[in-house]
Parts: sequence; structure tokens; C-alpha cells
Amino acid sequence: MSAQHQEEATPHVGEHAADVEHASEGFDAGATIIEHVTNSSLEHPLVHLEPIAGIDLSVTKHVMMMWLVAGLLFVVITMVTRAYLNQDRRVPSGFMNGLEWLVQSIRDSVVLPNVGAKYVNTWTPLLLTMFVFILAANIVGLIPMFEALGLVDRFVLGNGHDAESLINGVLHGGTTVTANYNVTAALATITFFAIIIAGTMAHGFVKHWKNLVPSGLAKPIYVLLIPIEIMGMFVKPFALTMRLAANMTGGHIAILSILSLVFLFTEMFESAAVGMGVGVAMSLPLAVGISALEIIVVMVQAYVFTLLTSVFIGMAINVHH
Amino acid sequence: MDNPLVQPDPGLFIWTILTFLILLGLLAKFAWNPLLRALEERQETIRKSLDDAEKIKQELVRVQQESAQIVAEARAEAQTIVSRSRAEAETVREDLKRKAKEEAAGLVKNAERQIQQETARAVQEIRREVVDLSLAVASKLIKKNLSQEDNDRLIQDSLDQIETARPS
Repeated sequence: MSAQHQEEATPHVGEHAADVEHASEGFDAGATIIEHVTNSSLEHPLVHLEPIAGIDLSVTKHVMMMWLVAGLLFVVITMVTRAYLNQDRRVPSGFMNGLEWLVQSIRDSVVLPNVGAKYVNTWTPLLLTMFVFILAANIVGLIPMFEALGLVDRFVLGNGHDAESLINGVLHGGTTVTANYNVTAALATITFFAIIIAGTMAHGFVKHWKNLVPSGLAKPIYVLLIPIEIMGMFVKPFALTMRLAANMTGGHIAILSILSLVFLFTEMFESAAVGMGVGVAMSLPLAVGISALEIIVVMVQAYVFTLLTSVFIGMAINVHH
Repeated sequence: MDNPLVQPDPGLFIWTILTFLILLGLLAKFAWNPLLRALEERQETIRKSLDDAEKIKQELVRVQQESAQIVAEARAEAQTIVSRSRAEAETVREDLKRKAKEEAAGLVKNAERQIQQETARAVQEIRREVVDLSLAVASKLIKKNLSQEDNDRLIQDSLDQIETARPS
């Protein structure tokens, strides 16, 4: 869709602008930003697969990024854990200290208070995986590695903007998978089913659904209450979906907007010097500041998603009516 | 749904669920569950170590008290042994002294008695000698043969005389 946006953008023939951005047309901040926060074009996936049951399972950039994150997590965490567990005297050191701290804090301060001592070992693995997956995906999204790769491709390897190079193939599209609603919706779906499974495990399948509404109230109240509770069942994961994706998208858009000022000013005054000046004086410090803020947001959002999932699971297990 | 920010992508949705569930399965098997077990084991170990340390501390105090008591007892016993042996030595010494004294006294008495006996015998012998000498001298002087009767009478007289003259 980025190509489509670029076509809509008014062509501009400023010489300096041409140096800075695309060779033949003016700078469209909106299209550039959108390209950096959304998935790569669905029409041109990295690996095209035939649709199965009408669903296109082609590997897009976000799918690739997700595999990258998952693979990295699995390799690092498993390696560190193996190395630790294979010691004769299990003295945690280095990265293991951090991992152990993480496992212990998620278990003792997120899962245990909400889920309760009986099911803590059942649900801790899920919530740990959720936390590390979201956190790693968020952090990877903060690192402009493809932008760096693009620079290498453009200036070191000398490939053009539209050249058919390997690196160019993976350049389009954002890197933050958790900024994509489809990804967060999938994670929230897992939360949705985890709640049902937790309730079923603790109370049995029928009793879990009965627990949705408090028992022993006057009949007319149920007419109101049952639809509200059923709505609530879906609102919980929906809120998770929106919160995470919006937070991840928002920060990136803010950073990219501020950096776009460099090119907008360059175009406006037809002088790269003005753009650079604006960049050094304003865009760079602000972008650094927001990036620092993003580091906090990235951790908070991963924590919030995990904590809320834990709270919802706990609510299904320990019914307070 | 023209907005690219909210473009539905069922493929990505399904890939996410699959990726997440596989990651969950792998991490749970290879990392989380072993780690959780290890953590619990270590907590247990630490709790036990602390309990043991507490126990050992109490044991140490007990042993120290006991050893102090033993030392005190031993010291007291040594004291009594020393004083008792001292007393025993004293009595033995006294005993020996007394025995020695008695023995010495016995020896002296014995010697005295022997001396007396010897003296008495010597006196008797001397007396007999004197009588024999006197008889010989008297017979020579008188040159007269006295009858047996006179002889005996004279001997008796002389003996009586000597008896009376004998210094007591």
C-alpha cells in the first residue's frame, strides 16, 4: 500500500529533496511512516504460499520477525537454562541471574497473587512465555536494524531503491510485530482461551460458565447481567489487543513524525541545511527522548499484558461473587 | 478497512497463534518447568540449610556447656584426688614414724634386758670364781682338814658374808 500512497503524493522536483528521499518524487511523511509501522505488502509477501481454506498463509515481514523473535528467545533461554541446570553446583551467574529474577518475579508477584498457590505452576509457563515474547518483540521493534541494513545495501553494496536485492526484499514494512493488531489479537485470543481453560480446570466446564454471573439474584437482574458478562468476556481480550498494538504503534509514529520534520523542512525551504539544522536542533533530541520513553513503554506494556492475563485467569479460578 | 493500520490479516493471526503455542511448548519443556523446579529445590535447600545451621548452633551451645561442665567436674575431681592422696601420704608417714619409733624402743628394751642378763651371769660366774678361790686360799691357810660338815658350814658362811657384802 505504500506504493499506492506514494503515487498519490504530489510530485515534487526539488533538487535537494531528491537527494534526501526518493529519486523522482516528493517526500510523503504519512506514507513513509505508515510503511515503517505496518506489515509488508500482503500482495508481495516474502515467501508466497498457496491459501489454505481461503486463508493466505504467506510469510510476510511480520511473520518473519515473529519467527526471528521466537527463535532467538528459544535459543538464548534454553541455552542459558541448560548451562545452568547441567552444573554440579547450581550457582546462577551472568545472564542466568536475570532469567532467574524474571522467572521468580513473574511467578511470585504476577501469577501467585492472582492465580493462587494451587495453579501457580500450571500458568506460570504461559505467562512467562507471553512476557518474554511480547517484550522481545517490542524491543526488537525499537532497534532500527533493517534501516541500518538498508543503509548498507544502498551505500555500501550500491543497490538502488527498487533493486531486486536480498536485503531490499526484507526492507519494506515495520519490524514491531506487536504493533500489528492481528498479532496482538492472536495473543489476546490465547488469553481468551486460557481464561476458559483455567475456569474449566478449577470448576468444571458447566460450572465455569455459571460462574460468569453471581448466583442467587432476582431474575430481572440476570436479563441485564448475562449480556453484560458475555460482552465482558470479549471486551477483556479486545482491550488487550488494542492497548498493546496502539501503544507500540503510537511511539513509533511519534518518533518517525519528528524525524520526518527534517525532510519536510528540507523540502519546504529547498535546502538540506535547513533540514539538518531542524534535525540537530529539534528532531534528534526529541526522538532520542521519545525512544528512551519507548524503552519504558515497551517493558510496561509487556508487563501489563502479562499481568492482566494473569488477573483474568485468576478471576476465572478464584470466583468472587 | 482501507486504513493500513487496521488491515485484517488472518494468515498473520494464525501464524502468531501457532508460533506462540510452539514457543510456549518448547520453552515450558526446556526452560520454564525445569527452572521452576530448580527454583523450588533451591528454596527448599536454603530453608533446610538455615534450619540445619540453627540446629548446629544450638548443638554447639549445648556441647560447649557440656564440655565446660566436664572440665569443671574434672578439675574438682583432681582437687579431691590431690587432697586425698596428700592426706593418705600424711597418714602413711605418721604410721611409718610411729612404727619406727616402736621398733627402736623394742630394740633398746631388748638390748637392756640382754645386758642385764649378761651382767647377772657374769656376776654369778665371778661369785663362783671368788668362792673357789677363797676355798683354795682358806684350805691352804688353815692347813687343816676340816670335816665335811665344817666345810659346808664354812662355805655357807662365806657365801652369806659375800651376800651381805655384795653391793646392791
